Amino acid sequence: MLVVVCVKQVPDTTQVQIDPVTNTLIREGVPFIVNPYDTHAVEQALRFKDRYGCRVVAISMGPPNAEATLRKALAQGADRAVLLSDRVFGGADTLATSKVLAAAIERLAQEDEVGVVICGKQTIDGDTAQVGPGIATRLDFAQLTLVDRVDELDLSARRIKVSRKLEGRHEHVEAPLPVLLTVVRELNRPRYPTVAMRLESADAQVEVWDNSVLGLDVNTIGLKGSPTWVSRIFSPERAKGEMLGDGAHDPEGAAQLLIDKMIEKDLLAL
Amino acid sequence: MTDAVKPPKKPRGKAQLLENKCIACGARCQSACPVDAIQMNDAGEPIIDPSRCIGCVKCVKVCPVQAIEMAFTPEELRILQELAAASGGEVVEEDPEEAALKKKLAAYRGVWVFIEQTEGEAAKVSWELLGKGKELAQARKAPLCAVVMGDNVEKLCAEAFGYGAETVYLMDAPVLRHYRTEAYQKSLCALVEKYKPEVILMGATGLGRDLAGVVATILATGLTADCTGLSVDEKGNLMQTRPAFGGNIMATIVCDKFRPQMSTVRPHVMPMPEFDPQAKGEIVREPVPIAENDVQVKVLDILMDGGGSKVDIAGAEFIISGGRGMMAKENFSMLEELAEVLGGVVGASRSAVDAGWMPPDRQVGQTGKTVRPKVYIACGISGAIQHLVGMQDSDVVIAINRDPEAPIFEVASYGIVGDLFKVIPALTQKLRTLKAARSGAK
Amino acid sequence: MQTAIFTTLLVASLLFFAWSVYRRLSLVLLGLPEERFDQPGRRLSEMFLYAFGQLRVIKKPFGLNHFVIFWSFVILAIANGEFLVNGVFPSLSLALLPEGLHRALLVAFDVVSLLTLFAIALSFVRRIVVRPPQLDSLYVKGRSPEAFAILSFIALLMLAYFGMHGAIIAQGREAAASAMPVSTVVAAWLTHAGVDLTLVESVSWWVHALVLIAFICFLPLSKHMHILTAIPNCYFGALNWPATQPRETFEKGAVYGVGSVERFTWKDLFDSFSCTECGRCQSVCPASITGKPLNPRQVVHAIKTNLLENGPALKDGRKGTLPLIGDEGEGTNTEDAIWSCTTCGACMEACPVLIEQMPKIVKMRRHLVETESKFPEELLNLFENMEQRSNPWGIAPGERAKWVSTLPVKPFVAGETEYLLYVGCAGSFDSRAKQVTVALATVLNAAGVSWGILGKDEKCCGDSLRRLGNEYLFDKMAKENVEIFRERGVAKVITLCPHCLTTLKNDYRQYGLELEVVHQSELIADLIKKGRIKLDGSEKSLGKIAYHDPCYLGRHNDIFEAPRTVVQAVTGSAPQEAERHGRNSFCCGAGGGRMWMEEFIGDRVNHTRVDELLAEKPDTVCVACPYCMTMMEDGLKDRGAGEVKVRDVVEVLAEGLLHKKG
Repeated sequence: MLVVVCVKQVPDTTQVQIDPVTNTLIREGVPFIVNPYDTHAVEQALRFKDRYGCRVVAISMGPPNAEATLRKALAQGADRAVLLSDRVFGGADTLATSKVLAAAIERLAQEDEVGVVICGKQTIDGDTAQVGPGIATRLDFAQLTLVDRVDELDLSARRIKVSRKLEGRHEHVEAPLPVLLTVVRELNRPRYPTVAMRLESADAQVEVWDNSVLGLDVNTIGLKGSPTWVSRIFSPERAKGEMLGDGAHDPEGAAQLLIDKMIEKDLLAL
Repeated sequence: MTDAVKPPKKPRGKAQLLENKCIACGARCQSACPVDAIQMNDAGEPIIDPSRCIGCVKCVKVCPVQAIEMAFTPEELRILQELAAASGGEVVEEDPEEAALKKKLAAYRGVWVFIEQTEGEAAKVSWELLGKGKELAQARKAPLCAVVMGDNVEKLCAEAFGYGAETVYLMDAPVLRHYRTEAYQKSLCALVEKYKPEVILMGATGLGRDLAGVVATILATGLTADCTGLSVDEKGNLMQTRPAFGGNIMATIVCDKFRPQMSTVRPHVMPMPEFDPQAKGEIVREPVPIAENDVQVKVLDILMDGGGSKVDIAGAEFIISGGRGMMAKENFSMLEELAEVLGGVVGASRSAVDAGWMPPDRQVGQTGKTVRPKVYIACGISGAIQHLVGMQDSDVVIAINRDPEAPIFEVASYGIVGDLFKVIPALTQKLRTLKAARSGAK
Repeated sequence: MQTAIFTTLLVASLLFFAWSVYRRLSLVLLGLPEERFDQPGRRLSEMFLYAFGQLRVIKKPFGLNHFVIFWSFVILAIANGEFLVNGVFPSLSLALLPEGLHRALLVAFDVVSLLTLFAIALSFVRRIVVRPPQLDSLYVKGRSPEAFAILSFIALLMLAYFGMHGAIIAQGREAAASAMPVSTVVAAWLTHAGVDLTLVESVSWWVHALVLIAFICFLPLSKHMHILTAIPNCYFGALNWPATQPRETFEKGAVYGVGSVERFTWKDLFDSFSCTECGRCQSVCPASITGKPLNPRQVVHAIKTNLLENGPALKDGRKGTLPLIGDEGEGTNTEDAIWSCTTCGACMEACPVLIEQMPKIVKMRRHLVETESKFPEELLNLFENMEQRSNPWGIAPGERAKWVSTLPVKPFVAGETEYLLYVGCAGSFDSRAKQVTVALATVLNAAGVSWGILGKDEKCCGDSLRRLGNEYLFDKMAKENVEIFRERGVAKVITLCPHCLTTLKNDYRQYGLELEVVHQSELIADLIKKGRIKLDGSEKSLGKIAYHDPCYLGRHNDIFEAPRTVVQAVTGSAPQEAERHGRNSFCCGAGGGRMWMEEFIGDRVNHTRVDELLAEKPDTVCVACPYCMTMMEDGLKDRGAGEVKVRDVVEVLAEGLLHKKG
C-alpha cells in the first residue's frame, strides 16, 4: 500500500515583507523552506511505514527548485519523490493545485493502491487549508482534517481512527480507507534526518512529472484553471504596542482600560 | 456599419513591464500569453519579446498589480488620437467573451451565510457574517440568506432572522447531527445548485474550512480562505482581503469569472450585528439528499476541551503565563482564577518552571512549547529572548510587569506597568462582574 | 640456587609483563589514525614539563607527594635495575662504578627511599583518613584493594631495601656504609635488637625480589599502567589546546562520530590507559559537581573497560558486544552523561597527564546526532532554526541589524573599514546582549576605531552546533561563513562573544581561513593601554565588581588579563576574584550547547556559580560573554540577589567613559 504525502516548498514567511516605497514584495534573499505543517505530515507517513511497511511517496507541485523540499522528505525516510513541475501548472490557486496533485495521486494509484494521503493542515504562505479537502474531493476519498492524533490504522478492516482538533473540542472519528488526512503540529515531532540519509537523498532520484505525464486539460490547471486571483497586495497595518493607564498608581483603572480594549477588539469569550 | 470609409487600423501596441511593480505572482502573464511572447527570468519577472507580442492585452488584464502596460510608438499614438477624435470619444468595444460571462454570472443571486452549529449551538462567527452579509447583500440589491443544517436545529432559524437573514434554507435530519464532510457537502451542494447564490460566506473555523474546500472543489468555483475584509465592486465581484505570508502582507483576491464566490472569514473580525428579536423571515425546508447508510465516516466521541486533567497549552486560545515576577508557587492560583474566567490555561516561563512553581509541560519558550493563542497574557515575565520566541506569534500579547524597561513590552500589543498582585486581582474581579452581567442579560 | 630461582622468576615475570603490555597496547592500534608525531621538539619539552616536571600534578598541594614518589621511582629505578641485574649476574653491581659516583648514588637511594616511605605513609593516611571524594567514582573506589596493594608494594620495597642493606652493614660487609645514612641507622637497630642478621638479609632480599617481580607482573594490569603510559601520553598530548574539534568528511558510506570504541583514535584509546584515576577532572567538572550523570573520569574509564571487553572480538574483525553508549553500566556511557557536558574544558585543564576528555564526549555526541538522530527534544528547535534562519532562536535574519537603529553604523567594506565587528546572534537578537553591542559600538567610536558590520548578511558562526555534535550542519555553516569572509575581504575581526571568537579563530582555521580575531575585551584593553581610551579610574557606581571568567575566553583562548585590566582601569582597583577563577574558573552552565537545553538533573550549574560569586559579596558581576550574562542574571534572580548587577566588561568601560570627569 502507498502512503502519499503532499509537501510544498514555501518562502520563509517571517522574512517576507513589502517594500514600503514600491509596494512590491521584497523577495530577494528570502529563503525557501519546507512548509512546517508538511514535516509533520511526512513524519506521520513514516510512522505508517515503520509500523505497517507501507511505501511512502512524497509529491510536490512547484518550480524545479522545489526539488529541495522533496529531498528533505527523502532524507527523513520517504521511499520515492515526485515533483510536479510544468509551466502550465504555474499561477495555480487551490482549486487548480488540487487538480494537479489529485491527478498525480491517481497516476500513482495505477502502480499500487493508495491507502492514505497526508497533507499538512495548511501552508504558511497561503494559509488556506483548502488543498487537502480539494484533493480528497477529487479522489473521492474520505477526508479527515486537523488530525492531532492517529489512534489506529486497521489495514485488514480498512479503517482508520483519529482525533481531530477543533475549536474548543476534540472529535474522535473513524473513517474507511482510502482516506486523506490533514495534520496539525501537535500530531508528532518530526524526525531529524541522519547525515547518511541526507547524503543518500542528495543523490536520490526525484522524478519530475510535467503535464505530458498527467495529460490534464491546460484550461483546468495553472493560472487558466484558477478561478481566484490576487488583485492587490499591501502591507498590513501593524498595531504598535500601547501602554494602558498608570498601573503603578491606579491598578484598578489600568485593569478597566485593558478590559475595555479587550471588548473593543472582541477578545473576550465571556 | 460604414464600409465606405476605411479608417486606419487601430494600433494595438506592445506589452511592456513597468519597473519595480512586478510581484512575481507566479507567471500569470506568461500563462495568459497566447503567442508565447513572455519568458520568466530567475526572479520570476517577465521578459516580454515585443517582436512576438500581438497586443492582445491579455497579460495586462491578468496582472494583479498592473505591472504591465501597453506601449505605443509616437506614430501609433498619433493614430490613436485621430481615431479618438474621429469617434468623438472613447471607443467602446463590447467583447463577446465578456458578454457571455456577464450572462453566466447573472444567473447567480443572493448572499448566503452558512450557520455553523455544534450540538445545536451556533458558532458566533456565523452571526458576525450575517452582519457583513447584510452589507454585501444591500450593495448587490440581493437577499441575505442563511443556511441552517443539523438535527433539530430549527430554533436557529429565528436567531438567524434576528441577526438579519431574510430567508433561511433549513435542512434538518438526524444524519446531519454531527458534522461529517460527506453529508454536509452533499446537502450544501444540492442547495447551491438549486438556488444559485452569488456569494457564500462561512466562518474560517475547523469545520468551515473543512466544508468550504470540498464544496468549492465540487462546484469548481473560487474560494478564498480566512478573509478579514470583504466588499463588492460595481461588477458584483467580491473583493476578499486576507493576510498572506504569515500575516506579513495583505492580499485582495477576486473571483470574477465564477459563481458562487466563496469565502471563509476569520472569527472575531467582523462586528457582531444587532439582534432584532422581532425580525421574521421565510424558512425554506429542503430534504437532505443523503442517508445515514451512505455516510462512511463515524463520529465516535466529542470531548470538550478543559474537561480533562491534561492541559494542552500548545493548542489553547487564551494563555495566562507567569514568570519569576510571580514570586511564589501559591501566587499562581491568582493566574488560575484569571484563566478560569477567561476560559484559558496557565503557562509559565522557564524560570517559573525551574523554581518548581509550575510543571514543565506548561513551559513556553525556546526549550518549552511554542504557542500561538489568540491572547497571551504575560504576568511578571521580563521577556528574555528564550521566552519571546515561544509566544511572539500570539495574535494579541498583553504584558503586565513592574519594570517599564522589560523587553516583553516590545512585543506586547497592550502593556500595563504596575504591580501584578494588584492589577491581576482587579482584572479578574472586573471580568467576573462583567461575565455575571452578561449572562444575566441573556 | 638463589640466582637460578631468581633468574627463572624474573624471566617469567618479564615475559608476562611484555605479554600483558602488548595485549593492552595493541588494542590501542584498533583506534583510528591521528597525527601526533609532529613537532618533536615541542613535544619533548611538553613531556619534560608535564611528565618529569609534574607541572600539573603539583598544582594541588598533595601533588607534592606524588612528585616525591615519581622522582623516587626514577632514581630508584637505577637501584632496582642494579638489584635485578645483580640477582641474575651476581658479579655485576654499581660498585663497579667510580667510587665517587657510586657513593653519591647510594646516598641518593637511601634518602629517597626514606622519603618515599614517608610519602607512602601519607598516601595511606589520605586514603584511609582524609578520604578525598574525588578518589571515588561509580566503578573505581579510592580505597580499592588495588590501590592499597600498590602502596603496600612500594612500602615493602623500601622496607626490604633498608632491611637488606641494614643487615649487610651490620655484618660489616658494606664498604660504602658511610654513604648510606639511613641504612646505617637500620643496621644499628638490627644490631641492637640482636636478630639473626643473615636471616634478615636473605628474607629482605627475597621480599625485595618477589615484590619487584610481583610489581612487574601487576603493573600492566592495573591503573599503574600509567607509569608506562603517562610519559608518552604527555609527549603525544594536544599541542594546541583543543578548543576545536576535528573535521569530518561527509561522503556516502562514511561513519560519523564515535558510536563504538574502535571509532576513537589511537590517542583517545591511549588516553584511557594513561588515566591514573586521580579524580581531578571529576572534582572540577561542573556537571559532576552539580550532580549530573557525567563524570569525565568515568568517560575515560568506560573507554578503557569497553576496549578491554570488546578488544578481542574487534581484533578478530568481529563487533564488540558491550555498547559504548547505552544504559548505565561499567564500560558504557549513558546519553544523559554525554549531553551533560558544557565543553568548558576544566577536565582537560586539570588532568596531570594531558588526557583530553571533552573532545571524546563531543565525538560521541556526533554519533548520537549524525548517525542515530537521538538528542534531547529541545535541540530539534535549535537545529532547525540554525539551518533555516542561521540563528538559534529562529528569528528572521532580516532583523540582525535592528540594534543599529540608534547609532550610526557603517557596513564593513574591505579597505575602508579596518575591523569587521562580528556581532553574533546574541548581540544581534537578545535584548540584553544588544545593550552590550550598543555599548561596544559606542566605545569603538569613542576610540576612533574603524569598523563595520555585515548586517543582514552575517550568519551564525555555528559554535553550539559543533559542540553539540551536529558537525554536518556546522560544516555547512562554516563553509558559508568562510565564503562570506573571503568574498568581503575580511582580515581583522572583533567578536562580542567568546564563542564566536573561538569558532572564527580556532575552528575556521581548519577551513583554511586565517583571520586576526580579537575579543572585544582584548581590543579595548589594548586601546586603553595605547591611550586611545582615557579613563580616570574613578568609576564607583558599579561598586564592588567580581569578575567571572567565561570558559571560551579564558581557558579555551587564554584571555585572562584583558578584562581584568579594563575593570582596573575603569575603577582603579582590580576586580574581586571568585574562589575558582582564571584557568580554574567554573562554567556558567551554558557552554557546549547547554544554553539550548533543559537542565533537569541535579543542581543548576549557574546557581552553583552564582553562590560562589555571591560569597565575594559583589555589587556587580562582570562577565565577557552573552551566555554567561544570561546565566548569571538568571542565577542571581533565582538566588534572590536580583540587586546584584551583571555587566559585560565593555559596559563597565562605557560606564566609566560616561561618568569620567572632564
